[in-house]
Amino acid sequence: MDFDIRPYDLSSAATSWMMLVGILTLISVGLSFVLSLARNGVSGVAIFTTGLGSYLGDLFSLSPKRIYALTKLTLLEAIRRKALLVFVVFAVLLMFAGWFLTDTNSRPELQVSIHVTFLLTAIAWLILPAVIFLSCWALPEDIRIRSLHTVVTKPARRLEIVIGRMAGMGIVSCLVLVVMGVIGAVWIYRKLPENSRSQLTCRVPVFGQLYFFDADGQPAATGINVGDTWMYRSHIVGNSRARAVWMFRDVNESSIVTDTIGTGDEAKTVEGLKLECRFEAFRTVKGSEKSVLQGVQAQYTLSSNPREEAFGMLSQGEALRPVADALRDGQFRNGSDRLKELATRVRTTPDELRPADYLGLQNGLAVAGVILKEMKLPALLPVQEKFDAASSRGIALLRVLQTNNATGATDKPPYAEFAESLETLAGGILESADLLHESLPKLEVPLPAFHISEYHEGAAENITVVPRKLRFAADYETLARFLSGIFEKWSEEGKLVEGNAISSSLVDSLQKDASVSPLNAELLATVLNEQLTAGTLKISDGKLAVADGRRWFAFFDDLIRKELLISQDTEGWLIEKDLLTDLVSNGFLRVEVACLNDQMYLGMARPDLFIRKPDRSFLVGYTKALVSIALMLMLIIVLGVTVSCTVKGPVALFFTLTFFLVGQFFHEFMMKMLSGQEQGMGTLESAVLIAQHRNPQVGMDVSSTTSAVLKGADKGLEGVLRVFSNIVPDFSVFNRGSSFVENGFDVPFNDCVVPAVAIFAGFLIPCVLMAGAMLKFRELEAK
Amino acid sequence: MTNLNSRQRKMSYGIGIILLLGPIVYLGFPAEQNAADSSSGGLGKLAQMRQQYDLGEATLGKVDPSSSAMNLVLLGLRGPAASVLHLKAIEYQEKKQWAKLKTTVDSIILLQPHYVQIWKFQGWNLAYNVSREWDKVDDRFYWVKEGIKFLKLGTDRNQTIPILFHNVGEVISSKMGISDEKKFFRVFFKQDPDPKFEVSPGQRGPDPAINEEGKDSYLVAHDWFVKANEKDDNDDLIGVKGMTHVFFRQGPAKSLINYAEMRTKEGAFGEHIAAWEAGFKAWMEDYGREEFLGLDDKVYTLAPSEEELKQQAERNGITLMAQRKLWESNVKMVNFDFWRRYASAEMAPVTLTLHKTFFDAKQLYMQGKGFDRLDPASGMTVASEAQVKLEEAMQRWLEAKQEFSTMYEDSRYVDEALLIVQYWQAIHQQNARPIPDDYPLKSLWIENSGKHLETEREFQRETRGRKLQ
Repeated sequence: MDFDIRPYDLSSAATSWMMLVGILTLISVGLSFVLSLARNGVSGVAIFTTGLGSYLGDLFSLSPKRIYALTKLTLLEAIRRKALLVFVVFAVLLMFAGWFLTDTNSRPELQVSIHVTFLLTAIAWLILPAVIFLSCWALPEDIRIRSLHTVVTKPARRLEIVIGRMAGMGIVSCLVLVVMGVIGAVWIYRKLPENSRSQLTCRVPVFGQLYFFDADGQPAATGINVGDTWMYRSHIVGNSRARAVWMFRDVNESSIVTDTIGTGDEAKTVEGLKLECRFEAFRTVKGSEKSVLQGVQAQYTLSSNPREEAFGMLSQGEALRPVADALRDGQFRNGSDRLKELATRVRTTPDELRPADYLGLQNGLAVAGVILKEMKLPALLPVQEKFDAASSRGIALLRVLQTNNATGATDKPPYAEFAESLETLAGGILESADLLHESLPKLEVPLPAFHISEYHEGAAENITVVPRKLRFAADYETLARFLSGIFEKWSEEGKLVEGNAISSSLVDSLQKDASVSPLNAELLATVLNEQLTAGTLKISDGKLAVADGRRWFAFFDDLIRKELLISQDTEGWLIEKDLLTDLVSNGFLRVEVACLNDQMYLGMARPDLFIRKPDRSFLVGYTKALVSIALMLMLIIVLGVTVSCTVKGPVALFFTLTFFLVGQFFHEFMMKMLSGQEQGMGTLESAVLIAQHRNPQVGMDVSSTTSAVLKGADKGLEGVLRVFSNIVPDFSVFNRGSSFVENGFDVPFNDCVVPAVAIFAGFLIPCVLMAGAMLKFRELEAK
Repeated sequence: MTNLNSRQRKMSYGIGIILLLGPIVYLGFPAEQNAADSSSGGLGKLAQMRQQYDLGEATLGKVDPSSSAMNLVLLGLRGPAASVLHLKAIEYQEKKQWAKLKTTVDSIILLQPHYVQIWKFQGWNLAYNVSREWDKVDDRFYWVKEGIKFLKLGTDRNQTIPILFHNVGEVISSKMGISDEKKFFRVFFKQDPDPKFEVSPGQRGPDPAINEEGKDSYLVAHDWFVKANEKDDNDDLIGVKGMTHVFFRQGPAKSLINYAEMRTKEGAFGEHIAAWEAGFKAWMEDYGREEFLGLDDKVYTLAPSEEELKQQAERNGITLMAQRKLWESNVKMVNFDFWRRYASAEMAPVTLTLHKTFFDAKQLYMQGKGFDRLDPASGMTVASEAQVKLEEAMQRWLEAKQEFSTMYEDSRYVDEALLIVQYWQAIHQQNARPIPDDYPLKSLWIENSGKHLETEREFQRETRGRKLQ
């Protein structure tokens, strides 16, 4: 499934809608006024005012009772017109669908997708023609045979007739939809082969944001293109530093599920985070027999890495990379030196750096400042201010560079000032090196590798349940932080000392309270005793402390670097972390994906890894998809009725059909054309190129005047298209729900149902007002 | 404007309808089949013509009611509908929506059940293009099967089209026999990886839809090629649409040769000679004696005797020299002589001994029996079992070359000799012994120095972490 739906911005849509409706209202009112003046002369003002007043009067004196009566009338009329015959066609289709669909040999997930697709498509496309005909023909027909006259002579306002019509037809279509939906649900359960029924469920995904690291470990917006014509996924190369990184937001207790892992006797219930992937594999070599049989291997690493977040952006551009790499690795002293070197280059040979480097540097400094500020650690305030100051200087420098570039001016950019701010920052980083290292902890938890099962939606191989409590072999940095945390606490509590020696119960405490293995606990106790003897540690006031006053973290970091704490246990220093408290920061969880096989690639797009919340019943997603279809049908009714208030049936039919077809099949194309994403020329230019059998690169074989005229005309046509694009609804939004259900996903309420409701409501209000006005001011005798 | 009133107009319409109905009814009557001589008669002229020219749905193949229903429902819009579906299928394939691709392809063939190119193309597409998009080998096999099943369905619907039958054999033969995944596919063909084909705990059977009797893939392909040739015999046409006739007809014989060849490669030496003999016989006596039309519709056979050649020259009204030239060019085109010599060499006991000795030597090497051992009797270090076998294989190769000197200059035998040397040298290396100055295949090894790298790669491929079966 190729979906990459971005969150729907309701407030910005509402703002655009209000602007558009406001403009349309002004144009309509203005045009009516001008027409009234043109037709009636000066008295047109009074006629216009009276008409407007009467219309507004109608608007504010709508009677629900009358609307109800008109709705009922429409309902009965629709039934009389045999609208419900559509059921017969539906029944025939379902009866014979098995001939085309059922294939007991096919795989379960394919079976489900095929059946659900058929059902939802059949429901939508069967009701559609009936709805278009009903909505477009009803009013013109009433006017033609003068049955509407019997209604308008009663105290019913024409606005009420419009609303009644729309509501009546809407109810008919919804009734038909509900009945079909219920029959369809029963049919699908009955028709689906037994081995496929368990697949009939709604997965609830939480999607994240995706970015990449290339094979050199540098951040990138996309991965590698392996030559696939479909650009949906991009790839990471195996056995390299290339990673795909997902950032999931709002990860909390509600994301945790209880799931059973394994089968038979090995089955166990685990509480954790369920990750599901849909990666694609690409091989440049055949690979080992194991990988041929089991698939390409991937590995997740959960990480909390504030250093990456703070300094990752600095690595834009070759010149800045040494600084960024040092800071990302937590080598702040080294990073300070590299920054000083960079400052010297800015001061002495500023032209060696490209403007893009300055821009990248300024961006990186600004992001670092923001991230450090968000951490809300008072101790980091001075260094954060230095980042901000350097960023401000960077902005001033960029401003001059931009002005020079744009105007051709030769103002001297403030390189010296910027270099000075960088030197100050370098000094600040050096001063706070230990503090920064301690405050910006990197925690990485690699999960066991797994073989991906390509194109198998929801296959067990693609699902990983990450336990809430993670036990893993710690890397050096995590080990130093773990030990320093324990010793700081125990030292404060005075648990480490017995007389003038280290407590003899330390080994037991390490095993019992910190879950350290016996071998490593022994090792640690031995090393600490040696350090005490050597004078690196001291005992004062009954507490164990580092002799030179350093913090425990620096002490253990030093021991690890001297390779004094190499694990005696083959499994390494196993430590336990809590998924939510230790790896999720501010609700964000970072998941890195690596491909483990050499010369093979993993392809992925944003929706290809998601957190899977507890599944919902198939009926939940199915109902939401039906609601989307219902909204689409009602929108067509609204459009059809509106148009039929002023034109005859056939014209209304073609108009509505065109609206629907353009909105359904060409809306995306239209938007791409207008935004310039779709390559190609204007309408007339393309027509000339086709006639001349020439391609766009060569261009038209016409004089420059003709070319200018054609291009000018194309601009005009583009303007028309732009107006049109604002009026035609995007009907494909209503089908999104179906595509989710077809692929076994729940329909996301905010991204699918809300846009559908918003589009419907957005058209309903102006259409009702417009239709009311058109019916009110038209001459009913004019057939 | 006419002066007719409404009633008169309606009556004239009615008379017109009846007049037009007459010929339609006359033409549309069903034919009366005469069981005795298969001739047809009766009033139904259209039905008679349909039978006469084999154009009836039933005579083309099995009638699918859903296909007929679909075509009727669409009235005259079958063409546009099929075109839209083709475009959709391409889009689904591009976007890797395989389930939708398969259903769309199924819909296309409901609309165009007798359009042979669609069966050929989509069958190929599923078995080759779609299959290779999947990563795991069992998934690939699934889609190869889908392609084969699709082509099989095509033969059901089009029982008079030989090329479709040939295509089924071709896909089975090439996918199971020469694809990159052949090692797995040949096993899967008899033991399908899908759990639903489990016949007893831990024991899988074949997918009956493609291999009902659980036979070797080449033998199943052979059956399809035989069917294709039978269809070709019965279609009253000379040649086959979509393929050069002389290549088309070699299917059964070639699959038997391939079968024998594969058995040798896999070390199945039981009935080795019988399998090769069957292949040789089919090649020489069946395929070699079939008549084909060459340039300017001149008749020729691939393995004629001198007498037959003369007769053919007479039939064709050309000189013996011209007939010989015609024969030579076609024999060369299908490489007829190579396969004849190859099968002759392979059915000889000396070649069997060579292959078997080399195979055994490789087995010993894989089992770690390539290390020098201590002879308990003499207390001396003696050459490993694998080395002894390899040296024997070298001797066998030379003996076989004496018997089939031309054939053994072919690359496949030279490659085998080089591989024997490669194994033998590897044994010396692992025992830290220098390569002796002289050994039986030394001159061949030196002459083919350009192939050393490829031979080493083949050695690596064969020995990388697995035992021979």
